[in-house]
Amino acid sequence: MAINLKPVDVAVVGLGAAGGVAVLPLARAGLKVAGIEAGTWMDPAKDFKPDEIHNNVRGLVTTVPKAKQEIPTFRTSPDAKARQAATHPMMNAVGGTSIHYHAQSWRLKPWDFKTRSETIKRYGASLLPKGSTLEDWPVSYEELEPFYDTVEHEVGVSGKAGNIQGTLDPAGNVYEGPRQREYPMPPLRTCDYLDHMHKAAQSLGWKPFHAPAAINSQPYRGRAACAYHGYCDRGGCHVRAKNSTCFTTIPEAQKTKNVTVFDNAQVTRIVADASGKVTGVLYIRGGQEYFQPAKVVLVSSYTYENTRLLLLSKSKAYPNGLSNNHGQVGKHYFGHWDAQAGVGVTALFPMDINTWYGAMLSQGVTVDEWADDTFDHTGLGFIGGASLCTYMEKHPIAAASMSTFGRAPAWGSKWKQFVHENAGRFTGAYLQTNSFPYENTYLDLDPDVKDPLGDPVCRVTSGPKENETRAAVYAQNKMEAWFRAAGAIEVIKGQPFGPALSTHTYGGTRMGDNPETNVVDRWGFSHEALNLGMLGGSVFGTSGARNPTLTMQALAWRTAEHLAKNWKSIAGA
Amino acid sequence: MPGEISRRTVIASAAIVPVAALTAAAQTPPPSALSDAQLRLLAAFVDRIIPKDELGPSASECDVPIYINRSLGDYLAAEKPAFIEGLEATDAFARRSQERAFIELTPDKQDAVLTAMESGNAEGFANARVFFNRARRLALEGMFGDPYYGGNKNFAGWDLIQYPGPRLATTAADQKMGVDIKPYHHSAYGGSGENHGH
Repeated sequence: MAINLKPVDVAVVGLGAAGGVAVLPLARAGLKVAGIEAGTWMDPAKDFKPDEIHNNVRGLVTTVPKAKQEIPTFRTSPDAKARQAATHPMMNAVGGTSIHYHAQSWRLKPWDFKTRSETIKRYGASLLPKGSTLEDWPVSYEELEPFYDTVEHEVGVSGKAGNIQGTLDPAGNVYEGPRQREYPMPPLRTCDYLDHMHKAAQSLGWKPFHAPAAINSQPYRGRAACAYHGYCDRGGCHVRAKNSTCFTTIPEAQKTKNVTVFDNAQVTRIVADASGKVTGVLYIRGGQEYFQPAKVVLVSSYTYENTRLLLLSKSKAYPNGLSNNHGQVGKHYFGHWDAQAGVGVTALFPMDINTWYGAMLSQGVTVDEWADDTFDHTGLGFIGGASLCTYMEKHPIAAASMSTFGRAPAWGSKWKQFVHENAGRFTGAYLQTNSFPYENTYLDLDPDVKDPLGDPVCRVTSGPKENETRAAVYAQNKMEAWFRAAGAIEVIKGQPFGPALSTHTYGGTRMGDNPETNVVDRWGFSHEALNLGMLGGSVFGTSGARNPTLTMQALAWRTAEHLAKNWKSIAGA
Repeated sequence: MPGEISRRTVIASAAIVPVAALTAAAQTPPPSALSDAQLRLLAAFVDRIIPKDELGPSASECDVPIYINRSLGDYLAAEKPAFIEGLEATDAFARRSQERAFIELTPDKQDAVLTAMESGNAEGFANARVFFNRARRLALEGMFGDPYYGGNKNFAGWDLIQYPGPRLATTAADQKMGVDIKPYHHSAYGGSGENHGH
């Protein structure tokens, strides 16, 4: 039998990028919080090494038993049989994926929150992506702005504002929405390659800038500045300069004594009573099952697990899964059309560009001319576009595995000569395409594949999308023009095939005012189980053309603050 | 319910293994995954991928086979049977197409064998191209990975591609274009890294 624990006010399921932020406003409001995390604390000195085999080849920072045993299955059509992928994009640890992410910390654009109505207004409904289930968000950029601001300062973001209360500054991103003040830290260091690409973009009439990053460009709140050592990708930060929540908001919340972290604790079910109210969570720790009673439950695991946990949590009040009496859990799912979806561009230069060291995308240069609705889409046949970013950090095995651009064989002495000359002369670009939810793109439980507990894994169905393919190809051509303007002698554009399992995934518990098409309301609380909140990418209705984490964190802070301010009505609902 | 009982049994066995325990387990050196004959064949194979020439030593001179052997003995143990099958198929194909064991062939004829495999035109394999690509990939990992794992002896792989080496911190000068950065010959685990890891 499960051991019954002492009741708490709030149980937070998953202490990653979103849950790890939400605990801070809850704790400061005096609420008693149980932070339940399947992974454990990682030790920067021991676990985070400049070692490509450890981090990238074997994925040992990111590979922990729970996530590895629950890899979703994937298929491109509802008629096909889904197959289990070899690797997974999830991670279990205190800090979650904010440990190994690239830490780019963008605000979404005002347009991202009202893409549907703005598209109809500017181009007519015929340009809406066919088969999409796109809705405007119930939250505007302006409503979210104060929370973006709070998180930028609490977590620590380096960057340069491009729009402070309507005053534009081309040193930052002039296409961003207006912000109330400057970033708490200046951007990360620039360097020769980035300056070179900066000038090339300007020669095309574009406005390049250094993207915001949750990495300290200078010492911040007692933590060190970035060391630019070049092992940010899939690794944690050895000097705690990357502002993973295990170094920032979680320890800050623990200082209040209102938060207890239960690590190595795997949540298996969220429990609801006959009235439809959630009463707590079941978890397994050290082979023992526990029941943690809570007045409110916030679910903040990865997008796949958020949906899976709800679908697994069946009860009398919710026979088809928790908060799923409208059949919307798992719907409106989508992945980001980025490098993981084939939207990459690689370039070869005639000179050494020395991109070995750095901090991945966070030490990069970005162009935003071809994203969102920044340019006129009349006659183009798609909406959206992509942000273009080229960056520092290259690892030796990946470098030696470079394309030979048709100039040499793949092995032998001629290959040795080629990589000797060119491993220091090539680089890539990271493109993130505005991506949208569709009818043929959703999550459910796999009918065959189960985890070691006997529970089905998540099944991902993600069909082809004409709009995103066109937008991605359009943006890739712009990226090629940028590389060519910088003197690249070869450019290879990837074939966009669409997202499979991805580290950028959205939906499944979408946020919206209409309970017929959305799982949570404008505050992130379930339309059905009123004391259940959802945090993370699973509530997004559009992706934007940029990394999602800061928006997840701003929404998490907002949901937590709303809960604290409306405690009696939500906890007593 | 019977379902509940079996579920509880499963729960009891599903304790999450702490990261520290996994690291501790990696301290014991694994037994050799490959036989001496298989190691000789592997050395000849990877030496055609990365031959000795005026740019530097061969893969086997950099202990690439040691990296692959160690990996197949622990982290890649699940892959060992398929890898051995591929090695044996390589030798059998060499004997059929070139009438000698792979290690006895001239470099040109060894290249002919590997070219046939790379292009998917070699018989006797589960999938010749897949095995060739996997062996090439593991050769690159051994040549260009941290010497802690057994390969990249004397940092020859990093010198070949002019990678200046992993450091704990870099300066703006380390990110300049058009200057020679002095190579830093250190393993992430200290010193030359030789024979520490698996």
